[in-house]
Amino acid sequence: MTPSKTIYLDYAATTPVDPRVAELMIECLRPDGAHGNPSSGHTFGTRARAMIEKARQQVAAAIGARPECIIWTSGATESDNLAILGVARFHADRGRHVVTARTEHKAVLDAFKQLEKEGFEVTWLKPGPDGIVRSEQVREALRPDTQLVSLMHVNNETGVIQDVAAIGAICRERGVAFHVDAAQSAGKLPINVEAMNIDLLSLTAHKAYGPKGIGVLYVRRRPPLGLRPLSYGGGQETGLRSGTLPTHQIVGMGLAFEIGEREREADVARISVLRERLLKGLLAIGGVELNGHPTERVAGVLNVCFHNIEGESLRFGLRELAVSSGSACASGSDEASYVLRALGRSDQLAQSSIRFSLGRFTTEDDVDRAIAIVSREVGRLRALVPNGT
Amino acid sequence: MEPEYSATVVDHFEQPRNGGHFEAGEGVIRGTAGSVAQGTMFVLSARVADERIEAVRFEAYGCPHCIAAGSWLSERLVGLNREQLRTWRWRDADQALRFPLEKRGRLLILEDAVRALSEAWARLIP
Repeated sequence: MTPSKTIYLDYAATTPVDPRVAELMIECLRPDGAHGNPSSGHTFGTRARAMIEKARQQVAAAIGARPECIIWTSGATESDNLAILGVARFHADRGRHVVTARTEHKAVLDAFKQLEKEGFEVTWLKPGPDGIVRSEQVREALRPDTQLVSLMHVNNETGVIQDVAAIGAICRERGVAFHVDAAQSAGKLPINVEAMNIDLLSLTAHKAYGPKGIGVLYVRRRPPLGLRPLSYGGGQETGLRSGTLPTHQIVGMGLAFEIGEREREADVARISVLRERLLKGLLAIGGVELNGHPTERVAGVLNVCFHNIEGESLRFGLRELAVSSGSACASGSDEASYVLRALGRSDQLAQSSIRFSLGRFTTEDDVDRAIAIVSREVGRLRALVPNGT
Repeated sequence: MEPEYSATVVDHFEQPRNGGHFEAGEGVIRGTAGSVAQGTMFVLSARVADERIEAVRFEAYGCPHCIAAGSWLSERLVGLNREQLRTWRWRDADQALRFPLEKRGRLLILEDAVRALSEAWARLIP
């Protein structure tokens, strides 16, 4: 199956770079562009630095933050690790209890598992069958020695939205640091770190029409949070993230977030219509069920399970579609999605679940063709399934 | 990552031969093995006449290799006599379809279905 014939419905895994963003990035890479080291004092360096600071303002504006709170990283995985390990290690002498949910991204889960190895106690919250962690669950989990709560804004597999504002209010009231992985919500939902009482927020560019390899950790500055860096070196980013800043990627992320925020409402409205069209078409096939909350979800993500059909055959049958089963970030695994298992789905249904994710460049024709392909393959494979199974 | 699929597997997966089943009746035998819970299930049904298998139908729940194996087998069993069916072994299918090592256990389920079919034939009143 050549990529040109494949219908791309995997925007939650990564998005194409918006052509406007790509153009600006290329400008930075040319000999006459902003290729200087942003830490250098000469013209080339100061030009690059100015562009980086503009991008910092663009990302800050998209999340209601002050620019000095933006730390450039390599992506959401590094941001998650820096936030979780950084806060927990810095405050380890005050308490060694931390809280997260079983349905978090691997970058969060594995950082918490590392903390367990370092002697921290982790409370793993279990969401309801709809994928939502209730704020009361968080309140009940907090203890006098709790240092950190980490919950994602939007789940990468189901698209379900957590009420981070309510959880942020509880954490602020109890003086517990609150980290949010917002990799899947930027450009899709309004984010305001001040209003939502978020102390640390992970962002990535490549799920918001920016380049891969660049991300941000928002770190609350007032009052200072206390964060231990993961790496040491040139002292960039106020010592929290040493390393030469990649100007072209940062500039790309800045513009991607500015466009994302400016066009968010129009994008969401258009994608919601397409998502509903896709859902209607899939449900009409029969034996199809939505995974996760029916309404508390972002516009672009649709995760459904197919009854009476084996997962690998379904995925192979649908290879004209670029879709995901589980998270693309945990590729190589044939195991059923741990997120869907945590929501109570059987192994069999979790394996025969598909995540369709739509985005800025998805068309009505893409959706209609996808429905036709799924309908054809599901019908064909089910016809071979023994009766009464 | 999904496993590699040979051209034969892709061919049989995309265009399965003899899918379905024969309704119970004179000269119709049936062999079942595996389960949906196991992730692999085969149902073979065959029409026999003059001590030979005249036609075969298959149903399968499983991975693309399994669906291809059911389809491939449905063609191979035609014309076999009781003894040939009784002695059929999974390695023939493995050779033709090149199952990945970790999936070979699923061919044993297919062999069980063939055995069940053979036993059903033995119970058939001549």
